[in-house]
Amino acid sequence: MEVKTFQGGAHIPHFKSYTEDKPITRLSPPKEVIVPLLQHMGAPCEPLVKEGDKVEIGQKIGDSEETFSAPVHASISGTVKEVGKRTVPTGGEDDCIVIEADDGPQEFEMKQIRDPQNIDLEEYRKCVREGGLTGMGGAALPTHVQVKYNEQVDTLLLNGAECEPFLTCDHRIMVEKAEELVRGAELMMNSIGAKRTLFGIEVNKPDAIEAVNELIKDRDDMEVVSLAVKYPQGFKSHLIKAATGRDVPRGARSAELGCIVRNVGTTVASYEACVYGKPLIERVVTVSGPKVTKPGNYIVRIGSPISHILKECGVEELENHKVVIGGPMTGLAQPHLEVPVVKSSTGVIVLPPDMTREWMEYTDCVRCDKCVEHCPMMLYPNQISIYAEAGLHEKAEEWDLMDCIECGICSYVCPAARPIVHWVQRAKPEIQKLQRSRK
Amino acid sequence: MVSDTQKLIISPSPHLKAKDTVGSAMRDVFIALLPVVAVAIYFYHVYAAFLIGVCLVTAVLTELLFRKLSGKKPTLHDWSALLTGLFVALLFTATTPWWKAAIATFIAVGIAKELMGGLGWNRFNPALFGRVAMILLAPIFAFVDDWFAPLATYMGSVDVATQATPLAMLNAGMEMPPLGQLFAAFPGGALSEVSPLALLIGAAYLFYRKHITWHIPAAMIVTVAVLTLIAGENPLYHLFTGGMMIGAFFMATDWVTSPFTDRGKLLFGACIGILVVIFRVGLSPTEGVAFSILIMNAFVPLIDKAMKRPSFSEPRKQTQAS
Ligand code: SF4
Ligand code: SF4
Repeated sequence: MEVKTFQGGAHIPHFKSYTEDKPITRLSPPKEVIVPLLQHMGAPCEPLVKEGDKVEIGQKIGDSEETFSAPVHASISGTVKEVGKRTVPTGGEDDCIVIEADDGPQEFEMKQIRDPQNIDLEEYRKCVREGGLTGMGGAALPTHVQVKYNEQVDTLLLNGAECEPFLTCDHRIMVEKAEELVRGAELMMNSIGAKRTLFGIEVNKPDAIEAVNELIKDRDDMEVVSLAVKYPQGFKSHLIKAATGRDVPRGARSAELGCIVRNVGTTVASYEACVYGKPLIERVVTVSGPKVTKPGNYIVRIGSPISHILKECGVEELENHKVVIGGPMTGLAQPHLEVPVVKSSTGVIVLPPDMTREWMEYTDCVRCDKCVEHCPMMLYPNQISIYAEAGLHEKAEEWDLMDCIECGICSYVCPAARPIVHWVQRAKPEIQKLQRSRK
Repeated sequence: MVSDTQKLIISPSPHLKAKDTVGSAMRDVFIALLPVVAVAIYFYHVYAAFLIGVCLVTAVLTELLFRKLSGKKPTLHDWSALLTGLFVALLFTATTPWWKAAIATFIAVGIAKELMGGLGWNRFNPALFGRVAMILLAPIFAFVDDWFAPLATYMGSVDVATQATPLAMLNAGMEMPPLGQLFAAFPGGALSEVSPLALLIGAAYLFYRKHITWHIPAAMIVTVAVLTLIAGENPLYHLFTGGMMIGAFFMATDWVTSPFTDRGKLLFGACIGILVVIFRVGLSPTEGVAFSILIMNAFVPLIDKAMKRPSFSEPRKQTQAS
């Protein structure tokens, strides 16, 4: 078996054994959901409901006229308790619709409303838009934006790398929902006119590779690409490079790259949106960590507060722990437990004090070059960090700070514990300002 | 930062961290030097132990003093002061007057490290800087010798210490000791020169712990070997004598004062190799390795700039043309 990969990157302990064998199960719906009006990159939705309104599960409760946006839906039946500011997992407060459950039906009824054989591009795009589909792997772009015909796009690349430690939701989806996944891929491939589909899967998921292979073994337009287990294999740029061998220059559009990348969860959800008319109201979330009594891969309603999820999974003691939404390399540590999971939340990870550490205790760079050796973007994180820390943005830009994908490897390997990603995130808007002022 | 309500820790990503710290890495280098320390003490007994002790104590005191003066927190826990002290001691011969070694350590830790901004900002390898400073300052210190003479401690006689160093023998065209013996353990010269084998054992540990890469030592050794071969000499004698081994594996590979990238490291090592051969074949052989490394230290920023690799998202030339 040929195993493909990219240059740089690092082997990070992956802690997947807590949940990789745990079948996907449903978590009971919470009494209250907090649905943010902005869960994607782009324009926020306008609320379609107001306080006191009755809503049904699956009902659209927020939408926008903007192209770069995706509607949001009620993930439980109940009454709108509030439309207002709540803490969101991306940090800070934002507009949310809070729904209190009533005794109406709390499960979405799955009945087939379309024949997957007869869905054309236009209809497909409408379905994923109306279903509120966004990227579910990390970068939460509205899915419908990329649904269009482009002659140069010959490849649909499905991202099943799941390189972040702890996370296993995509892994379980590939194993348990391989059929929906392959059908969803077929639907997407045919509607955008791509010629082939590649499933990029890291080799630490042999059961997923086998499940998908079993279904596509007689097809010559689909293929599994086995990828080396290396972080950040699942980042779009590195997945494309590894799976297709194509370069990914900065700012390149899908047409120039000749391929479109889709997360496996998004692919299954798009299929369900088209065929069953099921909007994105729930997703598989990996709940894990060494102190979690019932770790697993759970179907969780969008908007469920993490307090509900952690209670169901038997987490009690949290003092000095870190609760991260997403993976531990790129996810965000949450300030309290009344934060909801959203469409792009891949995991809720509870890190005990001995696994993580506070970032204040960093020292000067000792030029050990470990970050340079491992940076998957071939940057110089050490130089970038020195200039970004000092606010010397022009210098930082010269050392290609803007190309940083914030994968976190540099801070992970740094013996001086320098919070490089933090400085990069702080410097990016400043450099953007500089770049604009030059034009 | 601890959030007030539920006492959750919040900090920027990534939330995982590899175990290595600056302190643990420096400690590993310290450990890697223990074999050669053992051989040195075996040959020079209390002379070696005393010299090392003086340097370690001076290093710690110097760091405390400079940190106090600059109002910064002491960073003894990062082991770098102790390590510099040990390195300085290993660069001297066993019978060096203790005050000379102490001044060298003071210069290394105080001036070459702390005054340059602390660990990470020093451009020159502190230990080599201290050692070479003492060579250059020798005329000044000649008369100081007399002041300190009453302080000289007599610790019994060591006959091996007065014998010509293998490197001097090599240069004088004298009959050389058998190579195997030279490699395993042979007294003469600085403490670190007694046993290439012991240094290699230490270096193997550093490779195993991934603190150094092969690029600098390999480039340096291959360059010296090839050039001395061309000059018609036996390269093995050059590799196993003088500061070559400690230079290649422990000094030139110093994190702070070597280039970033593998290509930069190869170039850096090769240039040091060339300088070493020039020093040894053309000029005076003493401390040629130390001078060569320090000279190349000065070029590191230049090498880093010149060898900057393109970013992953840098458009390739061919695709631009098409
Ligand atoms: S500089 Fe950016 S791309 Fe490179 S390792 Fe650090 S976070 Fe990743
Ligand atoms: S890993 Fe940290 S200490 Fe090492 S070169 Fe990079 S920033 Fe500097």
